[in-house]
Order: sequence, then C-alpha cells, then structure tokens
Amino acid sequence: MINFKKLNIIETPWKIIFSASLLSSIGLVALSSISYQSPSIVQNPFFKQLFFLIFAFAGFLIAFLTPKYLIHKYAYVIYSLGIVLVILPFFGATHAGTYRWLNIGLPFNFQPSEFAKIFTVIALARYLSDNTINIQYFKSILIPILIALFPSLVVLNQPDLGTALVMISVIFPMLYWSGARPFYLFLLVAPILSILTAFNVITFSIWALIIAAVIFYSNTKIISGAGYFFGNVFFGLLSRPIWDMLNPYQQNRVLTFIYPEKDPLGAAYQIIQSKTAIGSGGLFGKGWGEGTQTHLKFLPVQESDFILSVIGEEFGFIAIVVILIIFGYLISSIIRNSFLSKDKFSSLSLIGLGSILLAHVFVNTAMTVGLIPVKGLPLPFISAGGTFLVTSYLMIGLIMRFSINYSD
Amino acid sequence: MLKSDNLVSSRQFFIARSFAWFMLLLLGARYFQIQIVEHEIYRLKSNTNRIRKVNKNAPRGLILARDGEILVDNYPVYVLTAIPGEMKDKGSQFKLIADYIESDSSIIHSNYKKYYRGRFIPTRLAKDMNFLQLGNLEENKLNLEGVYYDQIPERFFPNGVRAAHLFGYVKEIDRSIRKNLKNKDAYELGDLVGWSGLEKQYEAFLMGQRGTSFYEVNASGREVGTASELDDTRPIPGSNIRTTIDLQLQLFCENLMTDKKGVILVGDPLSGGVLAATSAPDYSPDFFTGLITESNWKDMSTNQDKPLLNRYIQGTYIPGSIVKMITQAALLKQDNFDKNNKYHCPGFYQFGDRIFGCWFTEGHGSLNLVEAMSVSCDVYFYKTVTELSLENLYDTFNQFGFGSKTNIDIPNEASGLVPDKSYMSKRYGKSGWSRGVLLNLAIGQGELLVTPIQVLNYINLLSTKGSSPNSHFVFVDNLPQNVKPELSSDIWSNIHNGLRSAIISSNGTGKKSDPNFNDFLVFGKTGTAENPHGDNHAWFVGWADYNEKKYSIVILLENAGSGGAVAAPLAKKVFEKIIENSRFASR
Repeated sequence: MINFKKLNIIETPWKIIFSASLLSSIGLVALSSISYQSPSIVQNPFFKQLFFLIFAFAGFLIAFLTPKYLIHKYAYVIYSLGIVLVILPFFGATHAGTYRWLNIGLPFNFQPSEFAKIFTVIALARYLSDNTINIQYFKSILIPILIALFPSLVVLNQPDLGTALVMISVIFPMLYWSGARPFYLFLLVAPILSILTAFNVITFSIWALIIAAVIFYSNTKIISGAGYFFGNVFFGLLSRPIWDMLNPYQQNRVLTFIYPEKDPLGAAYQIIQSKTAIGSGGLFGKGWGEGTQTHLKFLPVQESDFILSVIGEEFGFIAIVVILIIFGYLISSIIRNSFLSKDKFSSLSLIGLGSILLAHVFVNTAMTVGLIPVKGLPLPFISAGGTFLVTSYLMIGLIMRFSINYSD
Repeated sequence: MLKSDNLVSSRQFFIARSFAWFMLLLLGARYFQIQIVEHEIYRLKSNTNRIRKVNKNAPRGLILARDGEILVDNYPVYVLTAIPGEMKDKGSQFKLIADYIESDSSIIHSNYKKYYRGRFIPTRLAKDMNFLQLGNLEENKLNLEGVYYDQIPERFFPNGVRAAHLFGYVKEIDRSIRKNLKNKDAYELGDLVGWSGLEKQYEAFLMGQRGTSFYEVNASGREVGTASELDDTRPIPGSNIRTTIDLQLQLFCENLMTDKKGVILVGDPLSGGVLAATSAPDYSPDFFTGLITESNWKDMSTNQDKPLLNRYIQGTYIPGSIVKMITQAALLKQDNFDKNNKYHCPGFYQFGDRIFGCWFTEGHGSLNLVEAMSVSCDVYFYKTVTELSLENLYDTFNQFGFGSKTNIDIPNEASGLVPDKSYMSKRYGKSGWSRGVLLNLAIGQGELLVTPIQVLNYINLLSTKGSSPNSHFVFVDNLPQNVKPELSSDIWSNIHNGLRSAIISSNGTGKKSDPNFNDFLVFGKTGTAENPHGDNHAWFVGWADYNEKKYSIVILLENAGSGGAVAAPLAKKVFEKIIENSRFASR
C-alpha cells in the first residue's frame, strides 16, 4: 500500500512538521515548569505529554503515509465511523456531567469528537470536490451543510459548544474555497447575528447598518436586497419576545451555556486569574518556574486549556509573539499549499484542516485573555492532552500528505 | 480519482491568508495591551493574590506603681485556635476538643462563631489553656484537624492590688465597637482597646504599634513561605505608665475596706498625685478578662451594693459638715464678719416657722468660729450664714471646684451639684424655696452633692492654701490647671486653726483620727451626712503635715453612722501606716 517511490522527499513540506515540533517543544518547557510539584510520574504533565507525543508521532506517520486516493475513496466511510464514535459516549458513563469521553480500557480516556472534526473536513472536501455547487441555490449547499451540521449537533449535546462551533465553522472557508461568493456566506450567518445583537439597541443598530452596507455593495437587486435586510431585522425583533417567553431557568441555562463566566466562582474566576497571570508576566516574564499564579495554583487547568497563561506569566510577551508567529507561519503555509494544490480535494482538505487549527488557536488564545467566553478548547501542539495531541499530529500528517502534489 | 482541478484564485488565497494573519495580529494586540500597557495593574493583582498580611499584636504597656512596682502586667496565655478551612467536620471536631480539654462543645462552638473571620484565618476556640489541657490535645493530635495553639498576652495583676476601677479593663474589638472608635484605622477586629479607667485614658500610650508579617499563600489560602520582597515589621510594645499609687498604702487601704462600703482616698497635696484610691465593694480586676458568663454579669450588675460603680469619681454624696470650711471661708471674706464674736447654740435654731436642729441636740453653748469648727456646731453657722447671700456661698463652693469635674485622669467622672438660685427655681418653682436652702448649704446638707475626688482636691487646696496642682493618677508632663481659690493668709490660718482644733481639742470631733505621733500634725474634719436613702454616711477628711510632706485623706463610709466615731479611727490607721512606711523608707 505504501509506495515509497512516490514519497518525494524534496517536495515534502518539512517546515510543517518542524513548526509543530517547535510549538510542542515550547509546550514541554512550560509543562516541565508546572510539573516539578507533581507527586508521581503518572500525574506529571511533562512525562504524560512525552508519552502521548509517541502516539502522536505514530498518528502523524500513519496519516502521512496513507495514500491520498485511499483517503478520497473512503472519505464517507471514515465520516460515518466518526459519527458512530461521537454517539458512542452517550451509551457510557458521564464524565463531569458530559458525554465527551470514551473509556477504552486505557489509563486515559479517549475523546472521539476530536477525530470527528477531521473526518467531517475530509467528507466535506470529498463532496465539494465531486460536485459543483451554486450557492445561490440553497439546494446545492444543503448536503454540505448537513454533513457539517450532523456531527456538530451530536457534539453540542455532549455538551461541547466549543468543538461543535469549530466543526460547523469549517463549512464557511470551505464553501468560500469552492467558489461561493462571500456575500452569500454572509447571508447564511446574518440571521444568527441578528438574533444575538438584538438584545442591545446599539449593537443591533450597528449590525443593521452593516447588513445594509453589505447588501448595497453586493449589487443585489432592490427587491431581494430589501428582503434580506428586513428579513434579518424581523429575526432580530422576534428574538426578544421569544426570549421573554422562556422561563428564567431556561434563560439561565442558555446564558451560562453562551457565557460561562456569568458564574463568578467558575469561569469568571479562571479568566481573572488567567489575565492576572499573563498581565503580570510583562515583556520578559517572571522566569521558568517563577510564575506565582501558576505555582501557587491560582491558575486553573494550567496544563491544558490555560497553558498559554503559564507561558505568558513565565516567559512574557516575547514568548507569546514567538508562538503567534509560528502559528501564523504554519497556517499561512497550509493556505499556500492549499492554493498551490493541483486537485480540488487536497486543496479543500488543506483549507479545512487549516481552519480547524486557526479556530483552535484563536478561541484558546482569545479565551485566556477574556476576549471571548470560556470555551474548553486546548491550544494545538502546546496544551497537554491525549486525544487532542494525537489528532493535532494526525492533522499535520494529513496536511503534509495533501501538500505533496502527485497523482495516484 | 482526484480529477477535479483546483480552481482557487490568487484573490481568494490573498484574502484567506490576510484573514489568518489579521486574527493572529488581533490576538497579539490584546496580549500587548495586557502584558505591556496594563502590566502594572496585573503585577499588583498577582501580588495581592499571593501575599497575606498577618498582624502581630503589640503587648500593651505596663501600669506601674510610683516606685516602679508592676500593678498591671502582661501574661502569656495559650489559646486554642482552628483554621476553619482545614476542618472537615466541625461538629465532631468540637466534641473531641471539648473532651480533651474537659469543656463543653457548645462553648467551643459559640467561641467559634464569635471569632470567625474567614476560612483561613485562625479562629479562637478556647482560651486560658493550662498545660494539662495542652498535653491532652498534644497526645491526641492525630485525631484533630487544623487545630493550632497561639500565645496571646493578657492582663494580669501581680502584687495583689485590686483597684479594678482605677486600672479599668480592655475589651476585644468586635464590629460594633470598631464602628464607634475614633481612630478606627489603628485597630483591627480582635485587637484589644482600653475600655475604662487608666486603660482607656492612656490608651494612646499603652496600645503600642502592631507588627506585620507577610506570607506567601497559595490559591487555597495555605502559607507556603515568606514573601521575600516585603519587609516584616516587628510589633512595638506600648509604653509603660507610672502611676502615683503607693503600692503598700494602696494594699493597706484596700484591706481596710474589706466588707465595707465606701471610699478611701489618700493624696499628696504638694503634687496632686493620688497615693491610694479604693472604692468598695469592687470586683476582681480580671473579671472582664476572659469570657464573662451571662449569670456572672447579671450578679455583678444587679448587685445592691453596686460594685461596678467607681465611687470616688462617679458616686455623688451629700457631704455634711466636711464642707463647713467653705462656709467658714465665705463668712471670713465678708468685711463686717467678726470671727471672734461668740454665738450661742441651744441645740436648735428657729428660722421662720421651721426648726433647724444642731447635731448635738443638748447645745454647744456659746462659741466663736474656730470653736464652732472644732465641735462642728451647726447652729453657729445657721446664725452667721444669714449675713451671706446664696450667690456668695455658691461662688466659694465653685472656687474650690465643687459642682464641676476635677479633670482627674480616669474617664466618666461625675460633676456633683452645687445648687444656685436658678437651679432651685427650676426645681421647686420661683417661690417654692426659701433662704432655708442657705442654711442647709452652710452645713453641707440639702441638694448639695459632691464626689470624693472633689473632696480630695478640696482638702489638697486647703492644706496648700490654694496652690495644690490638679489631682491625678499618672505622672504626666502637663497637668490640667487646677482651681485656685484666692483667700487672704488670715483666712487660711483661721481655717487651719479650726481643723487642727477639731483634732486636738478635748471635745474635737476628729480626735480619734490622731495617731499622736511626734511631728505628725493632723488637720481634719468629720462629717455625718444625713442621707434620705438610709443610715448616715460617715466622712473624715483632712491632712497631715509630716517631715515637710503633706498627706491628704478622704474617707467615706456609706450608711456607717457618725464620722467621728467610725471614719476618724480608720483615718488614724491610714496615718499610722503612712508613718510606718516613711520610717521604713528613711531607714
């Protein structure tokens, strides 16, 4: 199956795996700083991460060495397998009140939704490369939307809002990449934003102006333009009465779902401590092992979701800039390889996987400094975490595979 | 298989790449804002997060006797504390502790509620732990969670001086007390503050300055080390204060007053310092330290004999004959008054349709002013005082400080009362009272009320011919200005003659006070104050000149009968003690 002759060493974009390894090394430095207090090796985040990196490298090799045509051929099969995997946890026991993890008899748990993200991208790429879509007709994008929506809804019920959002959001760059006009993508998102902005007169007014401007510059016919505009305004106006019809406990449930930091001792505490850690780090940081926020345990989930706070506190703004530049370089390379791809399937897969990475980087990085509500998304390559680290390297393997242009 | 070609335009590529970089730039900008622009805010936040300030209370200053003996000292007591956050099941822990120290778990629980200030602040459960109790706890330490000991300084009273009213007591500051403190920033909950007596008056000297230590704590509030970049400050102990109290004399007077009700004050007229002060009955000075039980407090506060009342500054009494020197001075100030003129005392005096009796109902016969003072004849004064106006007499009382506070250096002093015209009119109506008031006032009866400390000051002034400094308990640099009655030297010597005669003449009322010791010259006056609420109060007031020193004395025995019979002999004992002490000192 593996044809080594077709592995073109020169064409292989080694810089991709190199960037990922560099980020993992930075992660290991940070993890070693928070590890020296750990009572045992099993609980030591640094050694755990080293252990998982072995699996991650295996995952990388498997993905990298799998022929492109096989991936293309079995895209829908893997996708279906992914759906089964995300449904499986619902038959098991809950972990911390959620159905995110699958107990596979190992000392650690397995989170299938991480894999489902990749499979969704592959399935979307397959569909969009096999069919020419015309976004003006909703019928032509119905299937790709369903492909992304179905696993997202399952994950949303686990419940895992962060992963669900990442999963559904890949549809937009992929539709754009397959030629959809941005205006129509905008129209797809607009009603949701209309509902969300309707709770504040000022934001709603600004939003209405934006809609009007976009419609104006898109050269739409007056009738349909007015339809889009008033449709959105109507959505917004409707959302308030519907919201008021809900019981307070229902409203609360929705609010804590969207804004977990409403709970002052939960997420709000995490954000405050995380911002304090990062802000107190300053330009050069407090030094390795010197982070007081980290070592005095003010900082929660520091080895996974808030690893960037540890880095910000101990190594300062300089380290943050370096990390952002490496991510930028990596994602930019992926987009470039996608652009240079000879076939559409590879190109779409690359843009999809790149989008997943960017979404993770953005959500995690923005969350730790309170730019967006807390969503439990780890930072690729850097955060400690089993399944996610393995899937991240799996994605890197796929990205490198798709970046090599040859025909099977 | 992968037939469809990639048709992405360079415009799409450019937009996608710009979008990715824009997102990352946005994040970078946010980190720049937090880490560079707002760095200082978060640096402070992280420090307050991890640093805990712990106060170390300063021991209060000591209260010393005039020769340096310690009257009020600090004594380290062991307190049992618990960190609430480290106790899983408080109820069962409290029960265990109660077993080990043989106490009641409800007491421990109420202490816990009283002192609780936070999950990680040691909370006091029990105080005054003895070594047996500590040993028991130590043996069973493995069963206990979050239980610690602490040592706190507490007031204790070596040398056995009671003087609870003088020393006063300290109180632990709770929320309601702190709210009403003037300089509340100097105190924190649980600190001690002087609440009465000298402890309150000299709080600023005694309190000292608390020290502060800084510890690094982790997120669950446990100490993990010291905060190296912050300097700890050591507590500065309060300053000692030296009182004018003579330890031996104080103990002697307290002893004399056992089972009696009343006051003994001994003073030094030349300096104004009080040598001994007792108010009986009183309470043990450690009554207010520790926890007072409800029933203890009820017994004490409803006691008929009022042990909580500091009689020498708060008790107001009818003085009786001991203020006749005021009348004497007022008479002598009249130009037309002849001190040698004799008046006849038949034992009573008729004023209008009222009969005013002399205390000696058989009558003193005819006597002049000094003789009248010697035997304390009432009729002499009834007769002579008609020459005086009420204002005249009132002014003389005022000149000697009656009717206003002496500004003695312990708080809550009463001012007593000297009735003037407007007071009488207010009380009885404009025509509801007559010049009979004057007659009563002349012999110290009627509405007149004095405090024993006013009387001591009055005796000091008489003995020094008006130059005695203000009465006080503590050696300080600036005494308040004392009243300064201006009388001619003739008047002063006439008063001195009268008071000396009351001691040494054969029928002098105060002769039982004389210790009959060479060069120990006693001057004095007795008083038997008619008291509407019961038996007469017995007074003896006076002073002794001895070795160029002066000793003033005020003795009041409530409901004890005649001053000459019961108060004067007590004065003699005090005088004898003074003689004994000074001989001991000179040896």
